[in-house]
Amino acid sequence: MSLAVQVAGKSDLGCIRTNNEDNFGFDTRCGIFVVCDGMGGAASGEVASKLAVDTVLKYFRQHARNGLFPPFGKQFEGVSQRANALASAVQLANAEVFETAGKNKEHAGMGSTVVAVALKGNFFSIVNVGDSRIYLIRSGEIRQLTNDHSLVMEQVRRGLITLEEAESSTIQNIIIRALGSEETVEPDVDDLMAMPGDVLMLASDGLTKHVKDPKILQIIQNAPTLDKACDDLINAAKDDGGDDNITCVLLRLLQQSWWRSIFPGGAHKWQNSL
Amino acid sequence: MAKLALKFEDKVLKEITLGQGLVTIGRLPDNTVQIDNLAVSGHHAKIYWETDHYVIEDNNSLNGTFVNNRKVSKQPLADGDAVLIGKHTLAFKDEWHEDAPTGHTMAEVPSKPVPKMEATMVLDTKKAKEMMAQMRAGGAPAAAPAAGAGAGSAYQAPPPPPPPMKERVGTLSVISGKTDQPNYTLTGKMTVIGKSEMASIKLKGWFKPQVAAAINRHEGKYMISASEKKIALKVNGQAISGQHQLNDGDIIEVSGVQMSFGYAD
Repeated sequence: MSLAVQVAGKSDLGCIRTNNEDNFGFDTRCGIFVVCDGMGGAASGEVASKLAVDTVLKYFRQHARNGLFPPFGKQFEGVSQRANALASAVQLANAEVFETAGKNKEHAGMGSTVVAVALKGNFFSIVNVGDSRIYLIRSGEIRQLTNDHSLVMEQVRRGLITLEEAESSTIQNIIIRALGSEETVEPDVDDLMAMPGDVLMLASDGLTKHVKDPKILQIIQNAPTLDKACDDLINAAKDDGGDDNITCVLLRLLQQSWWRSIFPGGAHKWQNSL
Repeated sequence: MAKLALKFEDKVLKEITLGQGLVTIGRLPDNTVQIDNLAVSGHHAKIYWETDHYVIEDNNSLNGTFVNNRKVSKQPLADGDAVLIGKHTLAFKDEWHEDAPTGHTMAEVPSKPVPKMEATMVLDTKKAKEMMAQMRAGGAPAAAPAAGAGAGSAYQAPPPPPPPMKERVGTLSVISGKTDQPNYTLTGKMTVIGKSEMASIKLKGWFKPQVAAAINRHEGKYMISASEKKIALKVNGQAISGQHQLNDGDIIEVSGVQMSFGYAD
């Protein structure tokens, strides 16, 4: 048995920024979902995040068909092939962004975060670099699946400061891993089992800075559709100030009807980078 | 005559006239230009006269020094350059050299906005490691929350660094039922029990589910959960719904297989 997936994704400028450095994309045909948050002056952030989304999508579209994902960069032990495919795609995106930044003077120093989910059958793998996040909502509970690669969260993990202190820190904007800032990058990867009814949220920090976990849970549970949930989440972030670009991609996993599991295909949906 | 204007969000805080001497910029009070902000390193950068022009040099600062939006380690300054240090800008004005060819950097990037502090910044690995090392040493240079301009002195007793966590490795021994091996070491992030190709604990026999249950390893803890509601999963005889954290000696029963969980030495 494999699960069917519903998906919705939205990105918003927020209330203050005049450009959108976030980007996202997905393709249910190969079960890949990506959110990136770019950084770097003079429109470089947009370039970095778009390049990262495109690279990850392309890697999956090219290789998901035969299921042979050529390894790129560091491969991880003790994780699934799908998780290593995500790791490869993200390291490839790092190389692309790093190279583009090196070649074009105006893009020097650009970078991007990335979170992505690769879904297959009853399992999904996740990858993370930077401070975008993935959440899992399962049986009425919300859980953050990724660890932010930010200086403050690293300090929280080491017990140096509390979560409350981190959330009011002036240096929340400093991240310690990003795509494109160095020649190589080490992504975090993980494997999880999917269950019918699960909702996954991929979001940039423009959302999670302003909308805390219980509120996210409440919005998603009360929205009639995923599309509406995206809108409501973005509006909640804007109501709280919305000082950054806001992006979220939501997926809901559903029990597949018996006939669809015999005759796959049909309601596929994809969205290239913006 | 060259001047520096220290600005914070378009407000000029201070003006400094540059001579031939060394001007140091940093968070600590012994600098010529003190910027009391946590994003600024103790001795962040310096400006000095070299033959016929002023030069800015970054002292390997944590968050870097930016001239007209570009990160620099050492760079000649030209009239109109904007130097960004943390959240503060130093506007460099060189009236002496106005007839000289004004800074090429200026001509190339006429009106590039200075990046705002709220914009995400990334530390490179080396600096991040240095930072972590400092944190481990109890220095916690950036640990102070927003409240603290004077947080440095309030931070007298840094908490001891957490002991390095030794990740224990879980094992499963099959007590009864048919599997492909009698013992398993749970080194993976996720161990799947079932018939599926994803399963590392392979169940043998007809009518076994593709995926019966999975065990996730997270920070040295092992959590087991059934793949779906209709699969009966028991730990120590108790039915489990949702996730359950495994402890040494737990007996797991699922899909006709009984196993005991433990930690390897």
